[in-house]
This record gives sequence, C-alpha cells and structure tokens, in this order.
Amino acid sequence: MLENLLSNIPLTFPTGGIDIAFYAVAFVILAMAVCTVAVKNVLKSAVFLIFTFVGTAILYMLLQAEFIALAQVMVYVGGVVIFVVFTILLTSHLGEDNFSVNIPRTFAAGALSVAFVMVMVKSLFPAKELATMPSAAPEGYAGLKAIALRLLDYGPSGYIIPFEIVSVLLLATLISAVTVARKEKEEKK
Amino acid sequence: MYVPSVTNPIGDYVREWVPQLVAYLPESLQGETTCSVIAFAINAIICIIAVCLVNIGSAPILIYMERKVCAHVQCRLGPMRLGWHGTIQTIADVLKMLFKEVYSPQGADKKLFYLAPLIVLIAPFMIAALIPFGHNLLVANVDMGIPLIIAVNGFGVLGILLGGWSSNNKYSLMGSLRSGAQMISYEISFALVLLFVVMVSGSTNLMEITNGQAGTVANWMIFKVPVLGFLAFIMFFIASTAEMNRAPFDIAEAEQELTGGYHTEYTGTPFAMFYLAEYIALVTNSALAVTCFLGGFHAPCIGFESVDQILLKVPGVIWFFAKVYFMIWCYMMVRWTFVRPRVDQLMSFEWKFMLPVNMLLLVGGAAYIALSI
Repeated sequence: MLENLLSNIPLTFPTGGIDIAFYAVAFVILAMAVCTVAVKNVLKSAVFLIFTFVGTAILYMLLQAEFIALAQVMVYVGGVVIFVVFTILLTSHLGEDNFSVNIPRTFAAGALSVAFVMVMVKSLFPAKELATMPSAAPEGYAGLKAIALRLLDYGPSGYIIPFEIVSVLLLATLISAVTVARKEKEEKK
Repeated sequence: MYVPSVTNPIGDYVREWVPQLVAYLPESLQGETTCSVIAFAINAIICIIAVCLVNIGSAPILIYMERKVCAHVQCRLGPMRLGWHGTIQTIADVLKMLFKEVYSPQGADKKLFYLAPLIVLIAPFMIAALIPFGHNLLVANVDMGIPLIIAVNGFGVLGILLGGWSSNNKYSLMGSLRSGAQMISYEISFALVLLFVVMVSGSTNLMEITNGQAGTVANWMIFKVPVLGFLAFIMFFIASTAEMNRAPFDIAEAEQELTGGYHTEYTGTPFAMFYLAEYIALVTNSALAVTCFLGGFHAPCIGFESVDQILLKVPGVIWFFAKVYFMIWCYMMVRWTFVRPRVDQLMSFEWKFMLPVNMLLLVGGAAYIALSI
C-alpha cells in the first residue's frame, strides 16, 4: 500500500520564486503551530496563534486571494485572537500553574495527528494535476469586485440567498448576545 | 523566476532606468532576472526610506507642536530656552530618551515585553505605505487599501494588550485592558465610516478615492454628499481620536488613576517606540482623513479661473501636508480643550450613539447613491 502511495506522489515539485516562498511560509506556519500547542503559557500560545494566522494570510496572498487574506487578518487577528487574549487577561493566576499533560493523552494526540496526515496524503497526492496546476489564480480573480459581484448576484451562480440568511443569523446572534449581557432591572436593587 | 515589483510611477521610472545600468555588468550576470531583482531592490529601499522619513521625521515636529499648542491653550509659552523658541528642545528630549537604560521590571515576561512595542509600530507604518502623498508619490497602489487599513489596525490593540500584561504591573494591566476594550469598540465605528467613504466613492483604492475628489472644493467628500459627508467627517474624527487613545478619550493612560497606563513600566527606547507609534498614528489618521474627506493632494480650487491657476501651481505634496498639519492641529486643539469622559460614558457613547448613527449614515449614503444615479 505504501509503495502504491509513494508512486503516486509527484516528485517533480516546481521550484519557482512563489514555490520557495510557499515552502518558507509553510515551514514558519508549522513551527508556529507546534509552538502554539507546546508552549506552557497560555498567553504566549495565543501570540504564536497570531503568527500562525498571519502566515496563513500570507499563503492566501501568494495565491492572489487578497480579500480572503485581509479577511483572515481582520477576523482572526483583529477579532478572535484579541478576544482570546482579553479572556486570558481577565482570568487570574495566569501562568502560575502550568497545566500538565499526561502520557495517554499525548499518545492519543500523536495517533490522531498521524492518522490525519495519512488521510491527507492519501486524498491529496493521487490528484495527478497537482504538479502541473497553475500555482496561483489569475490576478483579480478573487478580488473584492469579483467576490462582491458573485456574492450579490441573483443568477444561478450567485449567492444572494445564503448571504441574506447569514445576515439574519448574525442579527439573531447580536440580539441574543445583548439579551445575555443585559442586566435585569431587579438585579440592580 | 517570479520577482515582486513595486507598482508606482517612481517604480516604473527605476525599472526603465535599471537596464541601462545593468549593461555595465559582466555578460554572464546580465538578463531579465537581474534587471528586475535590482530594480526591485532599489525601489524597495526608496520606499522604506520614504516611509521612515515621513513617519520618524514627523514625530519630533509633532512633539514640539503638541507642546506649543498645549502651552498656548493654557496661556503659557511652552519650551523657549533651547534654540529659537525652543526648537531644539525635542531633539534633546529624543536623545535623552534614546540614551536611557533599557530594563524590564522584576517578574516581567521579557520576550513579550520587548515584542509589544514592535507590534504596536506595525499598523502606522503599513498605513503610511498606502497613502498617496502626491500624484506620483505612493509606495503601494493597493486595490484593497481600506480593508487593509481596517485589518492592520487590529495589531495596535494586540501590542497594547501584550505590553500591559507583560509588564507585571497592575496599573499597566488595567490600562491595557481599558484601552483594548476602547479600541475594539471604536474600531467598529472607524470601519463603518470608512465603508461610507468606500460606498460613495465606489472604490477601496486610496488613489482612486483621492482622484474621485478632483476638481473644486465642492467635489471633496466632505461637501460632495450634502450634510452626510460632513457628519461622516465628524464621526471619523471622533472614532479616530478614540482609536489613537488621544485625549479626550485617553482613559487608557488617565494619569490620575493609572499613572501611565499600559506603558508605565517602559523606559528608554521601548517607551520611545510606544510614543512614536502614538504620533505616527496621529499622522496616518490625519492623512487618512485628508485622503478620504478633504480631497487628498488636490488643490482647494474654488471655481474662479484666475485663483485656481495660482493654486494649481503649488505641488500636490505641499497641499497634502498642509491639510495633514491642519488636521493634526485640530486633533491637538481637541486634546487640550475637552475634558475626559468616564469609562462607562465612553463605552455607552460608542455603542449607543456612534454605532447607530454610523449605521444610519450608511443607509443615508445608499439612499444618496440611489437618488443621484
């Protein structure tokens, strides 16, 4: 089975400028992701998580998907991680008691990640066109205008209905968040 | 081989000029790749120097200006002893700050402590690279300028939060939490006002937004959309003041309550970097206001042929910086005239006043576009 897999791997990897950049960024992302999990201080792992997200954004940039890259930075770095950091800062005794991980859990985690890598290899590498595909979309393909026109299109290729449904969902979330956070008048007394 | 290129008019000029230079190199080195690599290197260095010059160069001027404006508002004279009207005072202060010892408090997280000032500086430097200073003076002509600005602004909050926590000081932590909450809240209004600008001008490219305001003063965004434009400008002014943590929204470093806020424990160069970030943010936010509302580098023509002829002879850069410094003066006057609100007043002002008004502004902008077409 393994030989079968290996023979499917395209060994002629392209080595242009973008590919070198991709490998460098991917390596940094992997290192930062490992650091995120391995570092004992929770706040530091949040910082490493930010670097991981920024790295992912750079990958999107390399693929000419600029808006997705910016959305990645806007939502994850500017939103999610800031709130994670906030929550960490509001909890007391940060970094005093490092959580310890016992061995069975590590073993399970290792087994899971190996299985994940196997699945990825098995499903990705048989794709023959992997080595010959263009390394990035044409410029402006995933630009702001293209995405917006597609998103708000009424036609069969448009996404106007999911877009509107998501807006209703967001409104519902906002209202429920306000309801949860609101203090009842009886509580004040 | 793929080589990135700087896409602006000066970059084009360098690209034209480099092949003549490359011709002097030995045969084996010549070629398309060498040309583009050298052109990119030269362009990159020019861009870096330009951004640093605008940012770091304006900081001492702004510090001097702030002290003078503050002094005159309070019926004082301000720095007067060093040089003519105290002009060398800031240089002396900067030198003093740079030669101070750099140390971190006991129990501080050293890596994060020194990383935080660097993170704070990311946003203002990136925004400065996007702003068109003149017809040909633009580092990066990015199609997605406004989303990039909104995205990058998040790094400022992050740096402040990390700096406050890693100082191992309760004042710092409280200050950073306060300013973090404030900046996150006002970022929403900031983004919404910028969206209004994008909606009316129909582009997220800052160069196109500026060129859409060409012509007379009446074409500037602030007057182009009747009433709404002026309202949006006021909203932008308030949101950016809060975004920069400047007074009257400086509860983050309210001296009476929190000593120095998030940078209480910083000394020497790291402190200078926080200070620098604050003043560069002042420049970039003013420049953004000028680009989005006050016609960018376009001369304030009033429609009379004879006057406009004279006004148009002045280069765009000078108009741009004149407008920027006018905006900075406005920010400074606001800082020294208004009183500081409480934390809860500040938050309810954002969530209960600014945000609904900005939403209405967006609706009004849509109505304006629908009616004017």
